[in-house]
Amino acid sequence: MAAQTQILTERIGKIDPSSLEEYVGSGGFEALRRALTLSPVDIIYEVETSHLIGRGGAAFPTAFKWRAVAREEARPKYVVCNADESEPGTFKDRYLMEGDPFRIIEALAIAAYAVGANKGYIYIRGEYPLAYQRLAHAVEESRRAAYLGFNVGGSDFCFDIELYRGAGAYVCGEETALFESIEGKRGQPRLKPPYPVTHGLFNKPTVINNVETLANIPPIILNGGFWYRSLGVHLNPGPKLYAVSGHVRRPGVYEATMDLTLRDLIYELAGGIPGGRKLQAVLVGGAAGAFLGPEQLDVALGFDSLHHIGATLGSGAVMVMDETVDLWQVLRRVTRFFQHESCGKCFPCQLGTQRQAEIVARLAEGEIRPGDKALLIDIGLTMKDASLCGLGQTASNALLSACDRFSLLGEGGGQ
Amino acid sequence: MNQQDGDLVYDYPAVEAVLTRHEGKGRAGLLPCLQDLQQINGWLTPELCQLVGQRLNIPIADIYGVIDYYALLYKEPVGRTIIRVCDDIACYLAGSEEVLAEFKKWLGIGPGETTPDGKYTLEVHPCLGYCDQAPMALVNQEIHGHLTPEAVATLLEAK
Ligand SMILES: Cc1cc2nc3c(=O)[nH]c(=O)nc-3n(C[C@H](O)[C@H](O)[C@H](O)COP(=O)(O)O)c2cc1C
Ligand code: SF4
Ligand code: FES
Repeated sequence: MAAQTQILTERIGKIDPSSLEEYVGSGGFEALRRALTLSPVDIIYEVETSHLIGRGGAAFPTAFKWRAVAREEARPKYVVCNADESEPGTFKDRYLMEGDPFRIIEALAIAAYAVGANKGYIYIRGEYPLAYQRLAHAVEESRRAAYLGFNVGGSDFCFDIELYRGAGAYVCGEETALFESIEGKRGQPRLKPPYPVTHGLFNKPTVINNVETLANIPPIILNGGFWYRSLGVHLNPGPKLYAVSGHVRRPGVYEATMDLTLRDLIYELAGGIPGGRKLQAVLVGGAAGAFLGPEQLDVALGFDSLHHIGATLGSGAVMVMDETVDLWQVLRRVTRFFQHESCGKCFPCQLGTQRQAEIVARLAEGEIRPGDKALLIDIGLTMKDASLCGLGQTASNALLSACDRFSLLGEGGGQ
Repeated sequence: MNQQDGDLVYDYPAVEAVLTRHEGKGRAGLLPCLQDLQQINGWLTPELCQLVGQRLNIPIADIYGVIDYYALLYKEPVGRTIIRVCDDIACYLAGSEEVLAEFKKWLGIGPGETTPDGKYTLEVHPCLGYCDQAPMALVNQEIHGHLTPEAVATLLEAK
């Protein structure tokens, strides 16, 4: 497969994730050493040249955030790694943390040096005990070897990391909710603006990046931004992790550049659908994502290419459903998820997710009433337009895309 | 762990160590403090919450506000073993309904309930992030993937 790469996952399964020696022996901390010989401005320039786009779901250019925080005068500043990964169908950050934990530490240290922060946080999903254990061990080991602490790697740069465990709330993956959670409050999203780059954690300038985003940093520092930008697709360069689950022979995490097609991911990398059954639907991007059908198999799995067909890459989750699946049972779970996880801070989402889940639960029992489709569209658009955070804004995506794509409630219907 | 007629016996040195560790951090110490105390006692009793309030200087109402917000914090007694069965998309596609039914049958309780002997609490969860091992369940801190009804029986027999 031309598109398949081994950059982010280069060490996974090849080294002992608890061994600092093996990490260093396989090139680990070389990027940090190199970064410390560069000026922060040069590092941000490399990241900007690379055109690295955030992998946490919002697809925001990483250098943009870094530069904004680097320019802030307020002190202290913070760097935060978002390891709360709770989007249904997503397990690529867990794979990185369990398989190559030192890499996250190295990347976060580089980010901190580039923006002028001396303290970092990693907020790890509460249901990821092994990832937490591995990272906690890696932080201790890194401290002992002076990759964290005073005078990192013999330089003037001081940096340390504190780990936080989430406590079971999906919305805490939203960046401002995550800050609230670390600050010991109910983890509800804040109104934006102000943005994290000026008022983030403890109201200080903060860079927050996803685990996978950070995993891209060491190779960018070592090989340069131009090298990175030449990988894969114009404007959506670099490797991406895809978490494949559902009806495939080999569910798992696959790494490829974003010219990888859905067909190759499902039928080549993940081994196709077992039992000779036919493909019915694929949910791309998790519960906040959209459904695709067999006619869309040739779409490339990039930010822009999916956007063009009204879908989204989101976190890179790909859930595959064969012809035997009752999609209403799947939609019932998707809508129940949002109902359950809505934090209740704003009414469109609090009420919308409840009504939506109730209607879908009824439809899943086969009880269809006239006007259902119009009602669901109405609820969905209201949530999309009027919700405070991404949870409410995306809570109707999967449902409405399924209704559209598979004419679940008849053609046209509401609109 | 030790609970007799509402008269709780804590591992006091451990509780004290946790409070000492977090008390200098103000509110930012709250979540880790609650998590660590729960690790010791299984759930957050009114007495523990009171102690946290005093030592971290946080109003009791705020502490309960936080506990209520998070699915993994408990202000009611729970079983010593918490079984979290995933019933989200990938697990459903792989047969989580049969797995959940087997757990219910074996334990004689439904989701959200605790066995009368205080040994087990059963919960149904949205995606736990191990979809490549579907259907799966977290049993306290252990991950059990590729579950079948038979595997559930074996798992519970071994406990
Ligand atoms: C409801 C909700 C949940 C989110 N969950 C996560 C998450 O688990 N992990 C993550 O990295 N980003 C998550 N995000 C996106 C973050 O708000 C933020 O955009 C991201 O951490 C930025 O990192 P990046 O630029 O490296 O992608 C979530 C957003 C919303 C609205
Ligand atoms: S959109 Fe939903 S989750 Fe987000 S702030 Fe509003 S109620 Fe909370
Ligand atoms: S759907 Fe069960 S672990 Fe993701």
